[in-house]
Amino acid sequence: MKQLFKAFRGMRRSAILTLLLFTGLCSYAPMLFRALRADSLPQVKLNADSIAPRSIEDLTGRNVTRDYAYAWRDLAHALEANRTDLLNDYFTGFAKDKLTQRIADQKKTGVTVRYVDHGHNVKAFFYAPDGGEMQLIDNAQLEIQVLDGGKVIHQETLTEPYVVLMTPGADRWFVRSLDAFSNK
Amino acid sequence: MRIKRTILFLCAALSLATAAEVRPPAQVTAGTAFSIATTGGGDAAFYLIGPASVVKRQAKLGADIKVEADEVKVAGRYVAIACGSDGCSSAPFYVVAGEPARVSFLLHPSRVPVTARNAINGTAFVFDKFRNPVLRPVTVDFKVGPKVGSPFTKSVKAVQGVAWMQMSPTPKEGPVKVIATLAGNEEPRVIQQVASDACNLRIRAQRTSKGVLVETDPVKDCSGNAVPDGTVVSFTIAGEKGRTTVDAPIKKGVARVELPITGRATISVASGVVIGNEIRL
Repeated sequence: MKQLFKAFRGMRRSAILTLLLFTGLCSYAPMLFRALRADSLPQVKLNADSIAPRSIEDLTGRNVTRDYAYAWRDLAHALEANRTDLLNDYFTGFAKDKLTQRIADQKKTGVTVRYVDHGHNVKAFFYAPDGGEMQLIDNAQLEIQVLDGGKVIHQETLTEPYVVLMTPGADRWFVRSLDAFSNK
Repeated sequence: MRIKRTILFLCAALSLATAAEVRPPAQVTAGTAFSIATTGGGDAAFYLIGPASVVKRQAKLGADIKVEADEVKVAGRYVAIACGSDGCSSAPFYVVAGEPARVSFLLHPSRVPVTARNAINGTAFVFDKFRNPVLRPVTVDFKVGPKVGSPFTKSVKAVQGVAWMQMSPTPKEGPVKVIATLAGNEEPRVIQQVASDACNLRIRAQRTSKGVLVETDPVKDCSGNAVPDGTVVSFTIAGEKGRTTVDAPIKKGVARVELPITGRATISVASGVVIGNEIRL
């Protein structure tokens, strides 16, 4: 009888521990998912079949794909955290200026924008003969949340076409302009 | 009577439950003021989220919300949001670039030999007055003005805001001005055309007190352009003591060298990949 009581107490203790562990996991799950999401790169599929006038080398294609993915990762982080320093690595020119201005406005108004990136179908259509510029059309699949003081005021999932201009730097490709456009 | 009252009550309840709507135009030209129609009533917070701006201000639902020209200078997708007492409603719209007004022009390379086929390439990016890329097709004229010969124009239709052209240099050396022109806006660039490799390279020799003075005829390319001073010409001497090569730069169009040769020898000349004549002494 004593042994049965002991076993029951043990079971109760492990049940409480499991419950506490489960509650803890549940409360930290959003942070955990956000951290995992932050480290993961958006998926970018590059199609350069109809690029002109210069064809794209394999290595260049891989680098553009990689750097464009990094740029979108940084864009999402910068807009969510209101940090312009995150734009330094993969943005330059007009693209950087526009995003910097947007972050300044976000800070002023208390509005933040959260992007959940579901991938990019990118078509490269112009590569300058001297290799100095590359232009792409990106069909970005995005989930966008607009928050004011932490409260979601707008939420949508959409496929957004962008026209992108990328230029090479010393060791990477930079996004020089990134403009959403209506294809209707 | 009771049914009528119930229907009226339901309608009133339904109209209260329905959130106010914002109705922006589907498309607006960059830098143009416009109004966004709203439904409902009462105070609301109005937000305008654009590619380079975030605007937040108070607005009255049921009245038009004025958007200033400055607030939509950047082309792209915008979302208008109004949050009233019964929740938020939103609608997206696009701001498109205005009339083409500016062109950014890149011309490569800065120096090109006259015989390099299709070596000159120019890329022009078309913008409106707010620096938004103009994505609709517009024609960019590339006016080419060589130093010698008549100027000519290449007209290219821009695709997604980019017009590019490729051309071969004109036959004569010297500066060539290329101007990208769009809607009265001109972007000039200059490219320096230089002589190509030497053509018909010839030498002559003359005995002197110290040996032999060897010099070339004026060194020119196949189009008659003088090969620039400083270009190296190599003289090779095969004599009784073996084979020697002496390099001499072109000075005032001619390369010259004095060789200490006393006996029999064969002298040949070359510049780059071009080989000239041979002299036996």
